[in-house]
Amino acid sequence: MECCGPGYASPADAIKAPREKLLYTIAIYTGTGIQKPDYLATIDVDPDSPTYSQVIHRLEMPGIGDELHHMGWNACSSCFDDGSMSRKYLILPGVRSNNLHIVDTATDPRAPRLHKVIDGADIKAKADLSGPHTVHCLGSEIIISFLGNAKGEAPGGYLHLNKEFEIQGRWESSMGDIKFGYDFWYQPRHNVMVSSEWAAPNTFMPGFDLEEVGHLKYGRELHFWDFEKREPIQSMYLGEDGLIPLEVKFHHDPDSTHGFCGAALSANVIHWWKDDGGEWRWEKIIDVENEPHPEWPIPVPGVMSAILVSMDDKYLYLNNWLHGDMRQYDISDPHHPVLTGQVWMGGLLGKATHVNGVEMAGGPQMFQLSLDGKRLYVTTSLFSTWDNQFYPEIREKGGVMVMIDCDPVNGGMKINEDFIVDFGKEPNGPSRCHEARYPGGDCTSDIWL
Amino acid sequence: MGVSAGQTYTVTLANRGNETYRVDARRALLDSLRDQGVDLPFGCQYGGCITCAAKLTAGAVDQRRQVALNNRQINDGYVILCVARPVSDITLQIGVEAHDRLYRNPFLDPLKAHELKADIATPKEV
Repeated sequence: MECCGPGYASPADAIKAPREKLLYTIAIYTGTGIQKPDYLATIDVDPDSPTYSQVIHRLEMPGIGDELHHMGWNACSSCFDDGSMSRKYLILPGVRSNNLHIVDTATDPRAPRLHKVIDGADIKAKADLSGPHTVHCLGSEIIISFLGNAKGEAPGGYLHLNKEFEIQGRWESSMGDIKFGYDFWYQPRHNVMVSSEWAAPNTFMPGFDLEEVGHLKYGRELHFWDFEKREPIQSMYLGEDGLIPLEVKFHHDPDSTHGFCGAALSANVIHWWKDDGGEWRWEKIIDVENEPHPEWPIPVPGVMSAILVSMDDKYLYLNNWLHGDMRQYDISDPHHPVLTGQVWMGGLLGKATHVNGVEMAGGPQMFQLSLDGKRLYVTTSLFSTWDNQFYPEIREKGGVMVMIDCDPVNGGMKINEDFIVDFGKEPNGPSRCHEARYPGGDCTSDIWL
Repeated sequence: MGVSAGQTYTVTLANRGNETYRVDARRALLDSLRDQGVDLPFGCQYGGCITCAAKLTAGAVDQRRQVALNNRQINDGYVILCVARPVSDITLQIGVEAHDRLYRNPFLDPLKAHELKADIATPKEV
């Protein structure tokens, strides 16, 4: 194959890519009491650099109150054979403002610059969508999940942008009977997309009321789509095993039908696959037990808000935001995962109140793995209003980025003692970091056709 | 209920040295106060996300358009400035220092049935 577009020919080629030297993470002031814009931070992750483990650039958004959260690239390995494309622009949605910020990271990778803002009001007017979350490229175009309509009511839908970042309208043909939106991932060789469920923006943005789970204001289903027809064809009711199913990840291997979802409130990992008869099946493969806490009337749930699959499809990583641990499972047999690593950083159970001399507020939250599977960068803030409920001290202490050394051969995890980024020391005051991406691609960006 | 053109009220900011501002009865408080230089947090600007919540300690507002607050937060005096309009002279505490009762650990301090959001709350039994 002619290779001149972005990304890599295969997951195996991605693993052999040069080591990351920079990474980008969003940092928020929304909801913190500091009246400054959220920003994109550039972190130096080159151990030979004098500014290793430091924020070396901050790109402020034009206004306050966006709540930057997740982000995604304009292009990935799905356009590897398209020489007209390049992985140049990072798309930063504001969950609360509805604005989409298009950031040029290629002109000067250390100092990204704002290329364009798609006004949130324009998205509401043209596509009746609000509450943007996951960004994926679709060949040369882009789809973004939105969790609500213009009034913040579920289920929302998908915004379609062309490669010039112009609104094309809604991507999906139908939302079927889907009640809520959140994350999605697709596997084109099997003509399938899987989507998950958080809640309506009007439900989750103000904070978490546990009672609303019982009133069915939060999701408990996974949805399988006919990707070409852009419509859902099958829903899986996960019930008590799948309360608030958030992140969905397929194997990186484009021929595989196996995928995984972390159910945040149940603190379970759900595995799905297509069986020999062509039917989609699901099972619970990991169940994190609730933990007793001296001051809690009920045991503390893990709150598994993110999962990630290594580029070789051998390991699955998960967090327990309220417990405070990060775990690594060998999923070589996806039906029978084996726990191979665990580290503690923050959390409510008091098992690691400090990491590398920094007092932790929050617990392990979002994480990004290097392409070679050796370095896992973990941040501690979930979402401003939810942070304020569970970890109010994060207002004064800010978020933290930790690096975990992972053994991709024999398994195992260990917190790296030379790396820590303390967002409590930011120039404008304590901010909170969430999702991270690498300029050359990472373990949550690339899809192969 | 109509509001006559030109109707204004006085807003007192209790935790800003009792500064006072004249505001239009037909405009959202967030817009009126920001236009006069008050630095206020905000997010969605349609009443859905709670970021701009302030505490009302005297007077009354019309905030029927808000969808973010549960009934306990309303009973504690919280108002959503991006949609709330004054219907009298009012006194507010603004900013996150007024959020002492806004956020609560939902496992340690559950809501009673009448304290849920309006669309799912059941009336309090007396």
